[in-house]
Amino acid sequence: MKHMTTMKRFSCAVLSAAMMLSLAACGSSSTGESSTTSNTASESSSSTDTSSSTATTTLSAEDVIKTAAEEGKVGNWGLGNEYEVQALLAKYGEPTTFLSQAFDMDGFDDDSITLASAMTYNELGLVKNSYDGGYDYGDTVGVIDMNDEGVAMLEDNIFCTQAFAEANPNTVKAFIYASLKGWEYACANPEEAAEIVYNYGSSVSSDHQAYMADEVKKLVETDTNGDAVTDYGKMDEDAMQQTLDLAKQYITLDDSTAASKLESLTLDDIRDTSYWEAATASTDGDFGTLEKTDVSIQLKWLPQAQFMGYYVALEKGYYSDAGLNVNIVAGGGDISETTAVYNGSVDFGVTWVSNLIAADAAGMGLTEVSQIFQRSGLVLVYKLANFS
Amino acid sequence: MKRNGSSSRFRQSITTVLYPLFFGILILVLWQTQALHAMLNIDPFVLPLPSRINSIIGESLPKIMTNVWATLIVAVAGLLLGSLFGYLIAIVATVFPKWGAGGLSIVTAFNAIPIVALAPVITNWTKDVSSDANIRSMVAKIIVVLLMCTASMSLNAYRGLTELRPFSQDLLESYAAGKFTIFRKLRLPNSVPYIFTALRVSVPLSVISALVSEYFAEYVIGVGRQIRENIVLGQYPTAWAYITVACLIGIVMYAVLIVCESILLRHRK
Repeated sequence: MKHMTTMKRFSCAVLSAAMMLSLAACGSSSTGESSTTSNTASESSSSTDTSSSTATTTLSAEDVIKTAAEEGKVGNWGLGNEYEVQALLAKYGEPTTFLSQAFDMDGFDDDSITLASAMTYNELGLVKNSYDGGYDYGDTVGVIDMNDEGVAMLEDNIFCTQAFAEANPNTVKAFIYASLKGWEYACANPEEAAEIVYNYGSSVSSDHQAYMADEVKKLVETDTNGDAVTDYGKMDEDAMQQTLDLAKQYITLDDSTAASKLESLTLDDIRDTSYWEAATASTDGDFGTLEKTDVSIQLKWLPQAQFMGYYVALEKGYYSDAGLNVNIVAGGGDISETTAVYNGSVDFGVTWVSNLIAADAAGMGLTEVSQIFQRSGLVLVYKLANFS
Repeated sequence: MKRNGSSSRFRQSITTVLYPLFFGILILVLWQTQALHAMLNIDPFVLPLPSRINSIIGESLPKIMTNVWATLIVAVAGLLLGSLFGYLIAIVATVFPKWGAGGLSIVTAFNAIPIVALAPVITNWTKDVSSDANIRSMVAKIIVVLLMCTASMSLNAYRGLTELRPFSQDLLESYAAGKFTIFRKLRLPNSVPYIFTALRVSVPLSVISALVSEYFAEYVIGVGRQIRENIVLGQYPTAWAYITVACLIGIVMYAVLIVCESILLRHRK
């Protein structure tokens, strides 16, 4: 313990401050956000008692939300993923507090969270399905859809900094063109797309990847009203506006400068439709001289079919046909995609529109150039047996 | 002689207080003038200026204080309980020396588990403690801090209880003093400075453990959680306001410890 006594020589202030600083560094790296699949549902004990629930009448979404909210058992991951859930709670007059949900569905499994957040293409599949990593609840769970409830906020997009777009307009157009081609192919051939993603170092099993590809296809090809979308990657005015309005309502910022910036944001501050229009108007993908040919895109999360369009575009050579040499950077690490794009360590990013809005409120000057997911993929899932 | 003593103490306080203070101010000046940013090649957006951080602390003090209390309660409760637990282990190890050493090794092994691994397990383990998420989260966080703080106390206290001055134990035994008397009159007083050595390690550790355990808690509260939320949202000035507050918690707790130590150990120097 000799080193402990030598510590006396240091000042208390410097010592503690140094320790705190090292904490900040270790803190942000200790996210522990491993993929959901690592947890295999070991117990299937709950499946026995749920089988009896089929006879009971199901409650309305409103009743389910109110019951769960009053018990304080609504879950969400927080960290900028919570606004739709808060808007939904507010819609039914409930307080907007929620339990912090881990990145697996164990809390849902053991009923400490009775109304849990889930992405249709990821956690919902794990809850319902029986493949490796699944919890095998099948049809014994109910789902509340953010789109149906009118609180949908748009999620995965393609964005870059305004400065980058202005300096490299042809590159941006070519990147959108090739990426959308990738998405188009992926949605036409989800099974093949899932396999391509799996081969690029997937974070989840191939069964789950195939499920995910099917669900992501629905988000890309259906809007918030449930209507079919034929223009891949378009930025729907109404859905974008609803996202911005809800973001202004539920993103709370302690920094008054950022808070007033958030209040003043308009659609024109957060998205630019011109690049997408030019990209989709082109028939041959020739946009003249590209200002930058080596570009990178950081995903919002680990490699999975959620991002299949980019992997397909890479695999099928759509990027190289457009004259681009693209590096796909996995997300889910220490540096969020908004900061990475702002820093210039990557050129493009995939994020949720609400996260882009928060980043722009902080002054990052990011702009969306295409909206890939046309509807919200967030749902609240509950066991029917818990609400009868 | 007395004069001499106080002047040397005065000189000592210059080195332990003024030099670091001067160093701190120097860093602040370099930081505010962005010389630090130029030196380390960092963007002022990611490392905001002290004036900006300060204004945010001023603006949202009530909200910050709510989070500070949540963190402070966890850190202090975990520190005290963990230290008490560690001391009890040290006593047990002293009384039963044969398996005491083995027990201490187990404690050290526990201490080596990263908080990142420990916190989710404890959160899971305490799910039935209370129906109030705030309370059961707080219990989970306190247990994490407790486990982190146990090792340094048990190891140091064990040394304090067993490494006695040469022949002192023999002397007491020659007076026919019983085990309990030796413990009360010799071992216990001998361990006091070692308690403070342990606390000097445990105090910063308790704050760090409290902050990190907040990431994994069910109930969303605390300085650590706010740091992470704000960094993810790209709100670096606000994140740094919470980082600053976290530093202050650590410094204040350390200062309180030093004051307690100087009062309790003033006759020993």
